Amino acid sequence: MTRARRGLLLVAWIATVAILGWIVDRRLVIGTDLRLFMPSPQTPQERLILEEIGEGPASRMLLLAISGPDPQAAADTSRALATALRASGEFRLVANGESNLDAIPDSLLAYRYLLSPTLDDAALDAGFLRVQLEDRVRDLASPAAGFLEPWLPRDPTLELLKLADSWLPARQPQLVYDVWFDSSGREALLAAETRAAGFDPQGQRKTADVLQRAFEASRTDGNLRLESSGPGAFSVLMQERTQGEAQWLGSVSVVGMVILLLVAYRSVPVLVLGLLPLVSAGVAGLAAVGMIFGTVHGITLGFGFTLIGVAQDYPIHLFSHQRRGLDARSSVRALWPTLATGVASTCVAYLAFLFSGVRGLAQLSVFTVTGLAVAGLTTRFLLPPLVPDSSRDAAASALLGRLWHAIAGLPRPLWLGVATTIACVAYLALSPRPLWENDLGALTPVPPALLARDAALRKELGAPDVRYLLVIEDTDAESVLAKAANLDPKLAVLVARGLLDGYDQPARYLPTRAAQEQRRAALPDPATLRSALDEALGTTPFKPEIFEPFLADVEFARQLPALGPSDLAGSPLESRVGSLLLERGDQWTALVTLAGVKDAAALAQVAAREPGTTLLDLKQASEDLVARQRERILWSLAVSAVLLVIVVFVALRDASRVRRVLAPMTLTTLVIVALFHAAGVSLSLFHLIALVLAAGLGLDYALFFERAAEDPAEQRRTLHAVIVCSLSTFLVFALLALSTLPVLRAIGITVAAGVVSNFVLALLLTRPVPGPTTDGR
Amino acid sequence: MEVRYSSLLEKPIVVSGRLEHREDSSLVRRVEWPYQEVTVLQGENVSVERAGSKPRRFTLDRAPELRGMLASFGAILQGDRLLLDRYFDVTAQGSDSRWEITLTPRNDKLKRHLFRVVVVGTEDRPRCFTLEEPDGDGSLMALGVTGPEALPASLDRDVLHAWCTDGDGQ
Repeated sequence: MTRARRGLLLVAWIATVAILGWIVDRRLVIGTDLRLFMPSPQTPQERLILEEIGEGPASRMLLLAISGPDPQAAADTSRALATALRASGEFRLVANGESNLDAIPDSLLAYRYLLSPTLDDAALDAGFLRVQLEDRVRDLASPAAGFLEPWLPRDPTLELLKLADSWLPARQPQLVYDVWFDSSGREALLAAETRAAGFDPQGQRKTADVLQRAFEASRTDGNLRLESSGPGAFSVLMQERTQGEAQWLGSVSVVGMVILLLVAYRSVPVLVLGLLPLVSAGVAGLAAVGMIFGTVHGITLGFGFTLIGVAQDYPIHLFSHQRRGLDARSSVRALWPTLATGVASTCVAYLAFLFSGVRGLAQLSVFTVTGLAVAGLTTRFLLPPLVPDSSRDAAASALLGRLWHAIAGLPRPLWLGVATTIACVAYLALSPRPLWENDLGALTPVPPALLARDAALRKELGAPDVRYLLVIEDTDAESVLAKAANLDPKLAVLVARGLLDGYDQPARYLPTRAAQEQRRAALPDPATLRSALDEALGTTPFKPEIFEPFLADVEFARQLPALGPSDLAGSPLESRVGSLLLERGDQWTALVTLAGVKDAAALAQVAAREPGTTLLDLKQASEDLVARQRERILWSLAVSAVLLVIVVFVALRDASRVRRVLAPMTLTTLVIVALFHAAGVSLSLFHLIALVLAAGLGLDYALFFERAAEDPAEQRRTLHAVIVCSLSTFLVFALLALSTLPVLRAIGITVAAGVVSNFVLALLLTRPVPGPTTDGR
Repeated sequence: MEVRYSSLLEKPIVVSGRLEHREDSSLVRRVEWPYQEVTVLQGENVSVERAGSKPRRFTLDRAPELRGMLASFGAILQGDRLLLDRYFDVTAQGSDSRWEITLTPRNDKLKRHLFRVVVVGTEDRPRCFTLEEPDGDGSLMALGVTGPEALPASLDRDVLHAWCTDGDGQ
């Protein structure tokens, strides 16, 4: 190939990758909803659980605390912030204790007689009115007169006030300067329900920005501090920490990699060429995921690039076999069967994730398989013509020669492999501890100090529990509301017994139509009401004529149709009812949020007696889901392990060779799993992915070692390649193992340990059996 | 004694009771006649509790006229001219033995709820606090007077004001 044609090839390659990369960058949407890495729901129950985990009112709740030296400033800021947040559109509900009766639209005022339960036990007759009016006279002589007086002509029974009081949380924080404060009186508290789902870090990030800007604009004092807590705030925090650390460790490992490759090959062009298959793999993988799924999850991206890092090894094998006078094209033809076996078997292993039933893993699978295939093919067909002549021959290195000689003298402890396998399998089978970690949260743990703070704020605010939730389902809104109303007194009993701090349910804000109609029917007609009022007024100092607005309101209420969920638009009730009463297709769901659950069993008993009512334990349910999901993944992995053996067998066609190639990765996997278990580490999905990656690496090392021909120079070149490959991989993952975040550490430790173990075992068990020719030397 | 005027009422309401300063700096307004009621004002929080019903709690932000009343009351009883000047324009008339101070709120928010406070006193003792609200409602508190029989027969404001000024019933 001429110089010009080589240049053309290089430019065309780079241009293709760049254009594809540009298209991918423009078209691909990056998703961040963590539930993509949870199993796809199979039953309606699972669907509900997955929805509630990320979208239930509790998971959307942000607890806010404004603290500073001056409580009055904190209170003023709380009011301004609440107003700004309500206007921002990012929040469904913002509560800070302000009860503003003026916020109720005029059109809904008359509905107080249909919404308030007062008249269920009393009629608007002369006796009831007299008691009420006498009380009002006393109110007028009390310090409360100022704010009650304007309401009296319209609402002498103070129905609206009772209604507003009943809408307040059962146990609300103390009011200071008319807004919620913690019990020490130093921090103003707010509870805000975000529109973004709790496990959508991207949406929560945007919400957090809006919150911060609103706070900066509302603060009345430079010394004030805003804290926010809750699932949404945590998911933003953890995503930032994970990204920050992954980026930092990634940059360090890139530098290490560059130095390593420069030391190994002493050539900048080789370094640059070595990157081309990897970059092509990444771009092709993204394009494939984009085409099939439309979006790619942020985690898929992060993991995917870690997994296809293996592709960096492919050109290394080629480079290590270069020497003066050898055309890379003939060299690659010799390497290709081994390389192809490695690529094909690794791809087969990753195919398992395609059938895992988890969308995020399916994406990961498509990304990795496409990427590795592209890296393999470009290394085979595009790279060789571009490889510059090398004056260095790895085989000429005296150091490598001595190393290989020493290795040749190593024992081949096959019995040790068998013994280790038996020991590991027996240990794992007999250990009583669970092998797996089912708690997804354990991998991105929120710092304990923040969790303690969250629990304290949650208690102060009486905010709903993030773990337990009662769910009521039926075919229409009326039925679920009726069930919720029916459940209410039973929950009240639990509260009275101290088993529960509080609860919230939609019928508290929106009674059933039946209840409203019953109350409406109980309202007296104008003549009856007027005579009852006159009779009641007889003994009070009130002027009789002032209560005309009251008479008009009651008469108006008598003509009102009962309120339904759709009539609440624009009222303060809309958002409250909206988050507790959900319509999903032809199914209606009422959620009963619970605060301070002290006895889940008692709740479960109450739920069991109510038809269509379930107590969801989101933690337990998600762990069950994770366990079921893992079972499925393990089965797929088992199938792909069989396929992998078939691929290797087809390539090598010799049982003893197949055994020697598969022994290191099998042993490594077993030993790592056993060591983790012995160290008390529970395995997670991420360990599993890392184990598959380590197994893929081990297979490659073994394949190349096994292939090493009987020519000692060729053996040394193979040793050189495998050392460079394993060192570079070890470097990257050992750095990850230093991470403070368990998810990164899990992957780092697993793969780094896997690289070491695979390398050593490949040397011990896989290196070629000295044939008669080598024997003679 | 406290007399409360309201446009909703045909005749004013009269209650009688006591004011106490507690050690924890809260102020307690205790109604003893014709019914029992206890109001506790502590810091910004107010709670009103009547026998047989649940306490009603609110903060001074909801009752600005009460805040004005408390400020004038506290300042006059303690002779704190600075505090008085912070909230009110002060005009005084009469002699040392029989005086009348008129307090007009300075800030707009208070002005919307409180027209003025008139305090009538003799020598070093205030006798009556009269609160006048912009809508014509208001109240009169006579200190040191117990029992409705001490008040004049007519509860007309002018009559009561004259009664306070003249020192009848003392």
